[in-house]
Amino acid sequence: MKTLEAQHLKKSYRQGGKQVQAVVDVSLTIAAGEVLAFLGPNGAGKTTTIKLIAGLIRPDAGTVRIVGRDPHQDPATLAQVGAVLEGNRNLYWRLTSMQNLEYFGVLRGLSAKTARQRGLQLLETFGLMEKRDVAVQTLSRGMQQKLAIATALIHQPALLLLDEPTLGLDVESAQTVKSLIRQIAASGRAILLTTHQLDIAEVLSDQVAVIQQGMIIAQSPTREFIRQFAGATCTYQIELEQALDPIRAEQLGSLEVTLSEPHQMQFTGDPELFYRVLEILRPLPLLNVKRKEADLTHIFLKLLKKGNGKA
Amino acid sequence: MIQLFLAELKRSWIQYIRYPVEALGGILITTFFFYALFVGAQYVAGPASQFGERLDAVVIGYVLWTLVIFVVNDIALNLQVEAQTGTLEQVLLSPFSAAAIFLARACASFLLRFSIVITILGVILLLTGSQLRFPPSLVLPLASVVLGSYGFAFLLGSAALIFKRIQQLLILSQFGLLFLLATPTEEWQGSLKWVGQWLPMTAGAGLLRDVMVRDVDLDGLRLLIAVTSGILYFGLGLVAFRWAVQVAKHRGILGSQ
Repeated sequence: MKTLEAQHLKKSYRQGGKQVQAVVDVSLTIAAGEVLAFLGPNGAGKTTTIKLIAGLIRPDAGTVRIVGRDPHQDPATLAQVGAVLEGNRNLYWRLTSMQNLEYFGVLRGLSAKTARQRGLQLLETFGLMEKRDVAVQTLSRGMQQKLAIATALIHQPALLLLDEPTLGLDVESAQTVKSLIRQIAASGRAILLTTHQLDIAEVLSDQVAVIQQGMIIAQSPTREFIRQFAGATCTYQIELEQALDPIRAEQLGSLEVTLSEPHQMQFTGDPELFYRVLEILRPLPLLNVKRKEADLTHIFLKLLKKGNGKA
Repeated sequence: MIQLFLAELKRSWIQYIRYPVEALGGILITTFFFYALFVGAQYVAGPASQFGERLDAVVIGYVLWTLVIFVVNDIALNLQVEAQTGTLEQVLLSPFSAAAIFLARACASFLLRFSIVITILGVILLLTGSQLRFPPSLVLPLASVVLGSYGFAFLLGSAALIFKRIQQLLILSQFGLLFLLATPTEEWQGSLKWVGQWLPMTAGAGLLRDVMVRDVDLDGLRLLIAVTSGILYFGLGLVAFRWAVQVAKHRGILGSQ
């Protein structure tokens, strides 16, 4: 049995007299110990999907099963869900770190004593022990985020939903959160992670799902995903000795070439097309031509472009 | 559920004392009002003076009035604040139902408020050497009024969940409360009298007037109506709240401001 099985979720809202399709058809499954990176542009339906899974929004159609139980029919299922929601504080700012852990522990169904014990363990694991009696509002953004994740784990849920957990964090804090996510997955929890930082998704995830306009447009194991799309698209960086003339620039524009500087450009696309790029550039002296390894960022952008083209 | 109530009590207390000046300000204002009542300035009791002119009647009426206002606004204000600060959805990610959580919260904040008021009252009684009579027969009518006010609170909470900003409705509800608590519906004639008895909180308030103003014993039938209507309005509030949570989940507006 998978930790999360969401099948054909649909959700539409009425907004300004119009029916808006927020989630058209989303199916996701995550096994224990697995991280699924859920990617998509703003407004694609990521947060709505997370809230549908967490039982905070009722789907128009489709089913959610968390360790085999439906959170919409059986509220006790929520004891298996922890979440850090984007745009929310997630914590009481007037309470200290320890008080938040204790309070949310009881709210998730633990006894006060167990919540206290687990709270102390989590503070230790998350390197927050010296901040245990400090009010949350005085903690740094990075510490608040770490505490929000710790609080989401207080009841040892099988599924952890992380909506943009590294948003607004400095590089160091983002790295800390990243290694914490890795530890949490290693402890056997399933994690659904949304992020705009694709390098983080690439390093952390076992699976990738890309959503656009409420529909999953690609989903597969991360390595396979990169391999699969890397074959179809290549990225080359080209540096010229001199600035590109406007006629060539216009011709190259139609071939997926983007100019970063007047004498530097990048091509992403079918390797066959790259020879046409070189034809257009002939006989300008080339200073440097380098193939970039495909990464999640390029594949993601490519997919979105393709998706927009279809739409 | 007891654990949840205790956790809510602790949370309410910590949040209350986190800003000592704010807490102290509230205590000073309450103390001032009570002291004013004791030195004879009955006008500060406002609608509470409907419960009689004797000091004990005015004080009990005032305590009841302030607590009912507090209870009635508590759930709706709490929901609005939590939605604004961004903790509401996190709170509702719980195996406890939203109604159970907000009932535990309302009871905890009521107990906290009640304890503070009673402590202040006790200190003033000690300092002034005054004495208040609190007949045990008041307990059931008071309980029926408080139950009705919780029902009212859940109805307003339901409106807050669906309509979000309901400040104007909260202000309007104060006039409704004034009518329900201060109108002597027990003096209405004919069938209107029985209609009046079934309005929220009116039967309990009428019985309080009987004991404190008219010095008569409790009427068994009206006491039964008061307690039954208290339970009914409380149940109605809970049912409406559960329905509002489902509607908010369906519309996807649970955490919206």
